[in-house]
Amino acid sequence: MTEIVDICTLQDLPPGAMRLVEYDGLEIGVFNCAGTVYAIEDRCSHDDGPLVEGILDQQACTIECPRHGALFDLKTGNPRTLPAYQPVDTFPVIIDNDLIKLEVE
Amino acid sequence: MSTTTNVPVTAPVLTENEQLAQINSDYTERYGFHDAENYLYKAPKGINKEIVEKISEFKSEPQWMRDFRLKALEHFFAKPQPTWGSPMLAEVDYDDIHYFVRASERAERSWDDVPEDVKNTFDRLGIPEAERKFLSGVGAQYESEVVYHQVNKDLEAQGVIFMDMDTALREHEEIVKQYFATIIPANDNKLSALNSAVWSGGSFVYVPPGVKVEMPLQAYFRINTESMGQFERTLIIADEGSYVHYVEGCTAPTYSANSLHSAVVELIAKPGARIRYTTVQNWSTNVFNLVTKRAVAETDATVEWVDCNLGSKLTMKYPSVYLTGERAHGEILSIAFAGKGQHQDAGGKIIHAAPNTTSNIFAKSISKDGGRGSYRGLLEIAKGAHGSKSKVVCDALLLDEFSRSDTYPTIRISEDDVNVGHEATVSKVGEDQLFYLMSHGISEEEASKLIVNGFIEPITKELPMEYAVEMNRLIELQMEGSIG
Repeated sequence: MTEIVDICTLQDLPPGAMRLVEYDGLEIGVFNCAGTVYAIEDRCSHDDGPLVEGILDQQACTIECPRHGALFDLKTGNPRTLPAYQPVDTFPVIIDNDLIKLEVE
Repeated sequence: MSTTTNVPVTAPVLTENEQLAQINSDYTERYGFHDAENYLYKAPKGINKEIVEKISEFKSEPQWMRDFRLKALEHFFAKPQPTWGSPMLAEVDYDDIHYFVRASERAERSWDDVPEDVKNTFDRLGIPEAERKFLSGVGAQYESEVVYHQVNKDLEAQGVIFMDMDTALREHEEIVKQYFATIIPANDNKLSALNSAVWSGGSFVYVPPGVKVEMPLQAYFRINTESMGQFERTLIIADEGSYVHYVEGCTAPTYSANSLHSAVVELIAKPGARIRYTTVQNWSTNVFNLVTKRAVAETDATVEWVDCNLGSKLTMKYPSVYLTGERAHGEILSIAFAGKGQHQDAGGKIIHAAPNTTSNIFAKSISKDGGRGSYRGLLEIAKGAHGSKSKVVCDALLLDEFSRSDTYPTIRISEDDVNVGHEATVSKVGEDQLFYLMSHGISEEEASKLIVNGFIEPITKELPMEYAVEMNRLIELQMEGSIG
């Protein structure tokens, strides 16, 4: 069943910012990439390390795993470089007035 | 590499000490010589932001590469020195290394244009001769940069690109940018971060769809100066249905101070392509050889690593293949020979990331005179890679009671419908084997050589003939005087 989860206002997550959201056992990274907000599983599919501690590239719209450098596409969750080779889950983002919300299954 | 010398069938009778002293006795003569340093530029020892900026400036690189280097340097400083592998790693002193040495202005296409002493070095190593006889192309790197590069005109006409990495960045920036560091990111490990910050030289190969490069392409890497760091970067892309065999060799003079060789090698085999990458590593025993090599094999593609490690003080190298497309095949054939004071920590990794993929890892190590040979490997079958098959065989041969062999195999399987086999053996040269051969009139030393040659034969037979001959000769030299 899909649930809508309130995250924060856009002012609280300006371009270039990212944050970890924990909801119902899920750990989700929420990223403001040059004004567009994306949400992906906060887990590198290579060795399960956290992604929100990595480097966000707003131009390429990627997050770099801080542990071994795998790059993940924030739009699709697909890895763009090894050593990760499996995608991570993505979550639809809703901007409701000024509020960032996520659709979580 | 094609020159050979005749090894006498019957070795003279020597005392044990004389025999031990004889091991590698011709390394200095054949490979361990060094030239006077007539360099255009030699960076002071140590690594910092200024050195990295200087390298980028020397090469007139685009801004994105300069940024890539500087970010990699931050990763290098942030990552701790690995504590696994070998205790010898603690001896690596990053402040006691020259990170960039320029010997010539550019990569020449004629040996006549290469600086004379550098050309003489490669003549002594037999590279121009090998090029004439059996190679499709040659790259020769001296210190930090490639001094000579040439590729067969017919291949060039078919669209094959084989050039040094620095030139490729200038002439084919878009292809380089598309693939560079996608297989091995700068932040993959401390040594890949170091390479990414200070890389220089190495080869770039692109083979167009359907083109088969029948004769090997070869790169030869030579360190000349003391306390030198060589950080070449190689990227090979075999487009759909193509084939290429790339061979690399390496040597250095023997010095009391340590040198560091830390390459990054990325291979991309597109659907149906095949890449074979052969290494005959014979660094002098003052070189730390810490290399990251990784390949991706897409649908129906094949990648083979043939990895022979004879030299160096410490080698840590685990070539890997990610089988990302259905029916892709990966093969790792590894020989390591650890003599006195050496640790060969070698092996390989295969990741089955797609269904019906297949792989083999065959690793052989020989240890003598207190040398240490380690096999370290990973075989992973990911969820969804059903129908995959793999076989891992690692064998170690100990030639005396002072030597050491370790095996560190890791197997992770996340799928039910797979077929995985693993075999490992450790053996000594058996009294009964020696007795059998000696009863046929063969000397103890010759018998021992025969046993070792038989042990490594499954791998040397995969080498091109010229390299197999050289490999057997090198092993025989290592074996000289091994019977005390």
